[in-house]
Amino acid sequence: MLNCHTIHDIIYTKRGIHMTDRIKKLYDYILSKKHRSLRAEFPEGNLSEEFCTEGLSHSERMTERLCRALKAETPVLLEGQKIAFMRTVKNAPDIFTEAEWKALREKHFIHESGYLSNICPGYARVISTGLLSVRNSAEAFLPLADEFFGGVIRSIDAVIKLSDRYAELAAKQGDNELAEILHRVPRYPARTLREAFQFFRILHFALWAEGEYHNTIGRFDLDFYPYLKSDIAEGRLDRASAFELTEEFFISFNIDSDLYPGVQQGDNGQSLVLGGCDSSGNTVWNMLTELALEASCELKLIDPKINLRVSSSTPLNAYELGTRLTREGLGFPQYSNDDVVIPGLIKLGYSPEDARNYVVAACWEYIIPGKGMEIVNIAALSFPKAIDTAIRKTGGGDFDHLLANVKSEINSMCESIAEKVKRLYIIPAPFMSVLFEDCITGLHDISTGAKYNNYGIHGTGIATAADSLAALEKIVYADRSETLPEFISKMYGNFESDNILLNNLRYHTPKMGNDDDRADRFASLLLNMFSEALEPLMNERGGRFRAGTGTAMYYLRHAAEIGASPDGRLKDEPFGTNFSPSIFARIDGPYSVINSFTKPDFTRAINGGPLTLEFHGSVFSEDENLQKIASLVMYFIKRGGHQLQLNAINAETLRDAQNRPEAYPRLIVRVWGWSAYFVELDREYQDHVISRQEYKL
Amino acid sequence: MITGTIFDIKEMSVHDGPGLRTTVFLKGCPLRCRWCHNPEGLSPDPQLMKRHNACIQCGLCKKSCGHPECSQLGVCIYACPRGCLEISGKVMTVEEVRDRVMRGADILRSSGGGVTFSGGEPLYQPDFLRGLLDALSGLHRTVETSGYASAEVFRDILGKADLFLFDIKHTSPETHKLYTGKDNAPILDNYRLLAESGVPYIIRVPIIPGVNDGEENLRNTAALAAAGKGLAGVELLGYNRFAGAKYGSVGMTYNFSSPADDAARDLLAPFRELGIKAVYKKMG
Repeated sequence: MLNCHTIHDIIYTKRGIHMTDRIKKLYDYILSKKHRSLRAEFPEGNLSEEFCTEGLSHSERMTERLCRALKAETPVLLEGQKIAFMRTVKNAPDIFTEAEWKALREKHFIHESGYLSNICPGYARVISTGLLSVRNSAEAFLPLADEFFGGVIRSIDAVIKLSDRYAELAAKQGDNELAEILHRVPRYPARTLREAFQFFRILHFALWAEGEYHNTIGRFDLDFYPYLKSDIAEGRLDRASAFELTEEFFISFNIDSDLYPGVQQGDNGQSLVLGGCDSSGNTVWNMLTELALEASCELKLIDPKINLRVSSSTPLNAYELGTRLTREGLGFPQYSNDDVVIPGLIKLGYSPEDARNYVVAACWEYIIPGKGMEIVNIAALSFPKAIDTAIRKTGGGDFDHLLANVKSEINSMCESIAEKVKRLYIIPAPFMSVLFEDCITGLHDISTGAKYNNYGIHGTGIATAADSLAALEKIVYADRSETLPEFISKMYGNFESDNILLNNLRYHTPKMGNDDDRADRFASLLLNMFSEALEPLMNERGGRFRAGTGTAMYYLRHAAEIGASPDGRLKDEPFGTNFSPSIFARIDGPYSVINSFTKPDFTRAINGGPLTLEFHGSVFSEDENLQKIASLVMYFIKRGGHQLQLNAINAETLRDAQNRPEAYPRLIVRVWGWSAYFVELDREYQDHVISRQEYKL
Repeated sequence: MITGTIFDIKEMSVHDGPGLRTTVFLKGCPLRCRWCHNPEGLSPDPQLMKRHNACIQCGLCKKSCGHPECSQLGVCIYACPRGCLEISGKVMTVEEVRDRVMRGADILRSSGGGVTFSGGEPLYQPDFLRGLLDALSGLHRTVETSGYASAEVFRDILGKADLFLFDIKHTSPETHKLYTGKDNAPILDNYRLLAESGVPYIIRVPIIPGVNDGEENLRNTAALAAAGKGLAGVELLGYNRFAGAKYGSVGMTYNFSSPADDAARDLLAPFRELGIKAVYKKMG
């Protein structure tokens, strides 16, 4: 239950608990990155040649590589560490040769790097049963699928072996408490919060070593609370010591995060969910929810990223706690609205219990822990491109005729996507499969499917597209000051021949974000076209396609695919971030933006994609303003918005950081679905962050 | 149909009264405070504003107009490919302003906020202001004012607003005239009306180092505050370092400089001593 007095204390009187010396030492050490120098290269050079020569199956290769990776690890315990495990070996090489990759890509659709990503493993169940329990089932089922279960058993053994080596080291160093914990987990169920955190760390560690990524963390407060509750009841922990442990747990996500294989470092998928309701519909909010928010506020690290599930019944002070975190400028929490997401998932065929248990993927998509083998970012559809192609095909006729062409273009793009992603192949993940109950009882690797096998498609550049249709409707079909061919010709010339028209389009035609139905109605229309186009499609795994409102990195890529657009966007200008107004649009303010962006029916387009609002940091300068901003978030949710990302930025600081990066090593910004250290971003992303709509109050 | 000139309607102010507010900025002001950070609010007439830092020097604005000197025709605002030019100051009817503000009615109410009338000087267009206050009586209405107006105008508006944010820039008539161009006698007269009326108000003092942050002025201000029936508090507003930011865009020069803030001084002491609730707010 939400304790109003505690929250008030936390926010306004600053009597919250603070970092202990032990944590401070660990924190400083990790931030100094010195531990990275303890890492060695992966020992054996060319695994792929060896595996190829020996003719190992893909599953066997994954298991063999994991076993070698864990074997090569040298246990290291940092001073004061209570939650052990730290990578001392860099990432293992690939399991396929170039020739094999070529053959794979010719035969299959490979998503991103080919390894399993962006799902939420069912950590909680295994933490409560222990790995031996899964091993026993694997042994019992071995005759039914010997390659799969053979891999499962070997993987579990390798993980346990490493834990034992850590236990030995702990004992040698005189830390008998830790040694005992590591003999307990991960073999047996966790009994205390510390054991649960340790168990999680080991599982997560092993997943990264196996080669999966964007393995989100799940429902932190729901999953770990039973352990905290029993610790408190039995006097093992109080709020202060629970806070300390939570801080250490959070720090652990920053120890090896640089080993994330992707290019954009902040985008490593270490995202957790707080709040919401459980599968029976009961509100989830407990001491861990608050400790997580407090810890994140104090630590100011980019991991773990925090998602807050809310609904129309969430009280204001929950939003105040969230806003306090927003103020730190970390680019989270991101808010997801249960009132929209749960019915939307149910509409798509998720069971009510599973829908209520949703978590958020690496960026914003909604996935089910322990049950979903979904590729929620398998493709992206550019709305502005659909319009660009449609208008080229349109000759005469009225505006409805143009819209019909847009619809048919969207249908065609969706069909192409569905075709393109056929013959999907995902590299097996034997250890990951340990964390999916259905894989054990279903006798198959997670990479071949789970209970839910849906795909998600981003719908990019909605505001640009809505504004484009509004502009065409006005200029070509209502005012008739240009014919369509004339308009298109000027547009393809980047409007250089007609600056009056350009000015009119950019600054004097309706824009989405001003609570103006003349533009807003097209967003709803386009999203409906998108979800209708996907409705009849099914993928090879019996899954559906989910329409989304996110733009992700496509705001640059998709914008580069077309030239200027009918809304007056010039060639090479990017789209807005995710689901937000066009960057150059003159916007009346946040309420207008919220009003515009909460009009569509999101239950039909439930892949996620947040409205992104950015406020100048000075807005948060007074504590009393926290409540004001919190009211705004609450308003967004009550209006039926599905997802909101609120950021505190300061364009002057960002520009300064571009020029003097050495002065801003820890400046954090939200990029599109994740946060990053600003100075580590490529210039074009930096520029985009700076150019976004910024409300100074 | 009552009309008036507005130079901005800003959604979501957090500094203009309780809760979330939409602030309506009325154009025109009788004062000329040297530190004013809304130079486009001074003249009651629409005027051209240019964002120099967005200008790409294409010259299309001049080409479209053809006049050697700017006569504020406004043709250029439709010619600039980057939208650098705008007219500040739009004539609107009371109904148009009301509809625009009511777009946010739900959030304004649910946050315990409302609408604030500011500027410029809202009392400078008394008929318009009266019309707006009546039309928006469904919301909490705050008037942010320098207090410079006739007693007749002030009395009329006094009965219509829910809260006043009343500036007291300086208590000495000579100093006030020196820095704002006007004597403060009408302001203090109106203050007394306000103080006796029981209508809730907050005294605002924009702290201008070297001008009004001296001990004597602060004590005098505190004494004035102590006399008020409806006083809800005093806010000392930290000097806005970016006060000059918009001057270039309206073709003016900001030529006021003030010494650095003396961070060590306790400006709130004179208020505390009289038991007055006072806070210092950093701006920007």
